Order: sequence, then structure tokens, then C-alpha cells
Amino acid sequence: MSRLRRVRAEATAAWHSFLRRRTAVFFTFFFPVLLVVIFGALVRTQPTGGGLFAEPAAYYIPGYLATVVLFTPLSRVGSEIARHRDDNRFEKLATTPVGRAEWLIAHTLVNVAIIGLASLLILGLVVALTGAVVPPTPRLGLLIPFIVFAVILFCGFGAILGRLSSTQDGVIAASNTIAFPLLFLSDTFVPLELLPGWFAPLVELSPLTYFARGVRVLTYEPAIADPYGVKLGVVIVLAVGFFAAGAYAIPRTD
Amino acid sequence: MNEAVVATGVSKRYGETVALDGIDLSVADGEVFGLIGPNGAGKTTLVRALTGTTPVDGEITVHGDTPTAVDADRIGLLPQSFSPPARLTARELIDYYGGLYGTARETAEVLAAVGMAANADSWYETLSGGQQRRVCVGIALVNDPDLLFLDEPTTGIDPAGRQSLWSLLEELADGGTTIVLTSHSMTEIQRLADRVGLLQGGQLVAVGTPTELIEAHGGTSRLVIDTDRPAAAADALGEADFDATAGTTAVVVTGVSPVAIGDAVAVLSTAGIEYGSLTWSEPSLEDVYLQLTGEQFAGGGGTDTAPMPAEATATEAATPAADPGEGAK
Repeated sequence: MSRLRRVRAEATAAWHSFLRRRTAVFFTFFFPVLLVVIFGALVRTQPTGGGLFAEPAAYYIPGYLATVVLFTPLSRVGSEIARHRDDNRFEKLATTPVGRAEWLIAHTLVNVAIIGLASLLILGLVVALTGAVVPPTPRLGLLIPFIVFAVILFCGFGAILGRLSSTQDGVIAASNTIAFPLLFLSDTFVPLELLPGWFAPLVELSPLTYFARGVRVLTYEPAIADPYGVKLGVVIVLAVGFFAAGAYAIPRTD
Repeated sequence: MNEAVVATGVSKRYGETVALDGIDLSVADGEVFGLIGPNGAGKTTLVRALTGTTPVDGEITVHGDTPTAVDADRIGLLPQSFSPPARLTARELIDYYGGLYGTARETAEVLAAVGMAANADSWYETLSGGQQRRVCVGIALVNDPDLLFLDEPTTGIDPAGRQSLWSLLEELADGGTTIVLTSHSMTEIQRLADRVGLLQGGQLVAVGTPTELIEAHGGTSRLVIDTDRPAAAADALGEADFDATAGTTAVVVTGVSPVAIGDAVAVLSTAGIEYGSLTWSEPSLEDVYLQLTGEQFAGGGGTDTAPMPAEATATEAATPAADPGEGAK
């Protein structure tokens, strides 16, 4: 019960802190909306033509979801760690019963809630604005574990970035530097066929690739008997690994 | 009496800089221990060492355990330069930090204790600096700790707020809470601390009760007499076996007991020397600080042996002066 009490206290404080930073709330939800509006509604996909957006609209759902699943935890958790360090909050927390893993669980829960809401918004917008068809099959519910574990994964990654970067500015710069190429080179917006052959093995190394492919099977190719379970398994294993590394990376001393 | 904190041979280096150099220290259960020293002397590093938030060489035990193994419910800490989440209210912050412990004091009780009941629902970032510090003290107290580390708890707090916090800390001490307190306010330390340790250059150069330290290092009492004829006054007082030094507009007489003030005044009257105000002061912890650190006030006064070349200097040195660190805060 004590552990639950600590996680709840930390998560409640983090949730209120986030909601009261209006700029952060606005851009957390506005950024993916902007992306859907620009690429989905203005540029539009051209299924019969060539170029970057040659696939049907629903093909890009994993890409839109990846923007929030990837960018938000990396920058939020990383910045939060930098902010905690600047304000000597870890020094205080180190003398309380709360553990590093508990702290990261609390902040991950907040990110799961935020990103869950943003994902719902994205799905709704993609369907409404681009005419994408998402088959309402029971296995669509598996989107939830895909998103939850991907958020856990990138919260762990964000914690590592927060440890390695000495300032909040450094965290933002580092997370953008990492997230931007990951977003476009993980089988999200750019199909593998458009990339040089030698690059394909690198795509397999990106954790986001397994999220994107799994989500695509659920939202775009439901009839294909693709082993999405394996992809979910990979995301879960990576989530556990990154979470453990992230929790270990959270500063306790100077 | 049991020892709450024992440190033996504690050292810490930051690169070439020696932050702590072989500190030996013990704090008894229920004791209020004050740490004083100039900026950079090692006070904050020592608090971090004792709370296990920085690795050090040497041995430290807190309630018989290493600092990182001790039951966190028994420890309270207010770090220096600590800022909690800025967009939570004072009430939410006390709730938040209280929620991190197995049991915690009632939020309303803590807010009242630190004088924040009236502003409990204001965001932390909208509070004044002093109010923010009071909330931070409340956060340190929320788990009702047996051992409380406070690193400059009253920085930025106005005199009334400071007095109320001092009263609160005295209540805690009376209730048996062990307190390790750092401060630049000698008034604060002299009022609250049972024993005082003075750190300089990472070394604990003096430890004792305030009274012991003042007797050993504080010099003697001082009587400052404003007069237009300080040299003549010093001569007359000297002939009457007073230890008097002339400034430009005052004469300073050292080692005068309160009952001898009348004798000094009588000497001046007999010599026909007119005088203005008289200021008598006992040596204080501040004098100990200045004596042992070799520091002086910006005005140029300082230790009891320093000459008094001008009225301003004489007044600063003779009256209970502002705390040496106050101006820099």
C-alpha cells in the first residue's frame, strides 16, 4: 500500500503540474493535430501516384501515433529530470522512501494518460480528415498495449537522456536529434522501398519500427495474418529493458 | 545519550577542490547542532554527506545505519536552493510530499505550523520568497522526522516569519527532534543551537556550545562612547585602568562589565568630557565567527582587537550588527 501511495502522490503532483503548464498542454496536443492536418488533409496521400505519400491514408496512422509516442515521453521525462536536478528535488527525494523506479512509474503513468488522449485525438482526426478506414475489429483493442508499452519504452529512454544531458535545453536538443530520424526511418511515414537497400538493417534496429509495424497490422492490414504478437513482444521486451535502464539512470546523488 | 549522527574522517573532493577534509562529528539524540562557516566552507556538502546524497570517503552513521540505509520515514531534509514543483499550491505540495511517506502529519497542521494557512491555496510560484521558504520548511517537517537537516532554512524570510520559524524549531527540539541546521545567521544559530560547529576550508575548526565558543574566541564586552574628544576620553579612561581605544568620534572601552559602566561615565564627567550615546555589547557568536574565519564586515570593523578609526566603524563593531551573510542573500 505504501508503494501505491507513493506512486499516486508522485503521479498526482506530476499530472497537476503538467495540466497547469498551458503551453505544454497546448503543444502536446497541437503538434500531432498540426501534423495530421498538414500531411493528411493538405498534402494528402496519392495512392495511385509516386513520391513520399503514395500509400493509402490509413497506412500513415502508425506514423502519426509515433509522433506522440516518441517525442512526448522523450522530451517530457528528460526535461522533468533536468528540472528536478536544477531544483535539487532529487536530493530531497533521495531522503524519502520513494524509489527511482517508483518515480519513473509515476511519470510514465502520466505520460500514458497524456499520450492515450492524444492518440485518441489523432485517430479521430485521421479518420475524419483523411477518410482513412480503420476496420473496427476486436484486435484493434491491442492498440492499447502497443501504445502503453511504447510509452514505457520511450519514458525509459527519456530518463537516460535526462541523466546524460546537463540542462533542460540539452534534453530538448538531444531528444529532437534522436527522435526526428527515428520518426522517419522506422517504417512509419517512409516505406522501406523508398530507402536504399543497405539501410534496411538499420531500420530493424529502431525500437519504433516494431511499434509502427504492429500498429499498421492492427489499423491498416487487419486481414493480413502478420505476426503482430511478435512485434508486441519485442516492444514489451524493449520497454522492460529501457524502463530498467531509465530507472537506474535517474540521479540519486550529485 | 545515544548519538543520532556520527561522522568519522569524512572527506570529499571535487576535482582539485577539497570540500571536506577529515571531518569528525557527532550529534546526540535530541540535540540542535548548528553549522556555520563562510560560503564555500563545506556546510552544504557536509549536510549532503550526512544525508547520503553525495558519496564521501570516511564513515558516517545515522541512527546506527549508513545514511542511505536509514529508515527514510525518520529523516527530514530541506536542501539548499530547493524548489518544489512551481505550479502546485502550498497545500498540494504538503499533500504530495506527505504522500511519499508511510505516515505523515496532517496537511492543515503543517501549513499552520509554518504560517502558511492563509496562503495554502496559492501556487508556489506566486508566493513571495519568504513564503516559498516556509512551504519548503513545511515539506521537510511533513513526515514528523526524528532527525531534521535544514540547510539555510530561513534564507529570504522576513523577521516576523523568521521568529515564528525559530519558535517552531524550538518546539520541535523541545519535543525531542534532533536538528542539524546550517545558517549564515549567527543570531539564529546562537538562539537555536545547543552546539555549534564552525567549518572553514572543509575543516571543522571549532565545536562547542555557543557559550563555550564565545568564552574561548569571542573576546570581551565592549562599551562605545560617542564624544567630540575621543583622544582625551581614552587618556582619562586609561588613567583609571580602563582598556580604552580612541576613534575619530568615539572611544571604545573593552572588558567592561555592566556594573562598571557607571564608573567609566564618572571618569569622563570628572575629566569634563562631554559624551553622547553609550552602547554596550557582550561578545557574541558573530565575534567568534569573525575571529575564527578572519573575515571582517564590509565597513572595516571586525574583531575586538581591531582599531576603530571612524565613528561608523565603531558603531558597527560595537552594536549587535547584521548577520555577516545577510547582505549577500
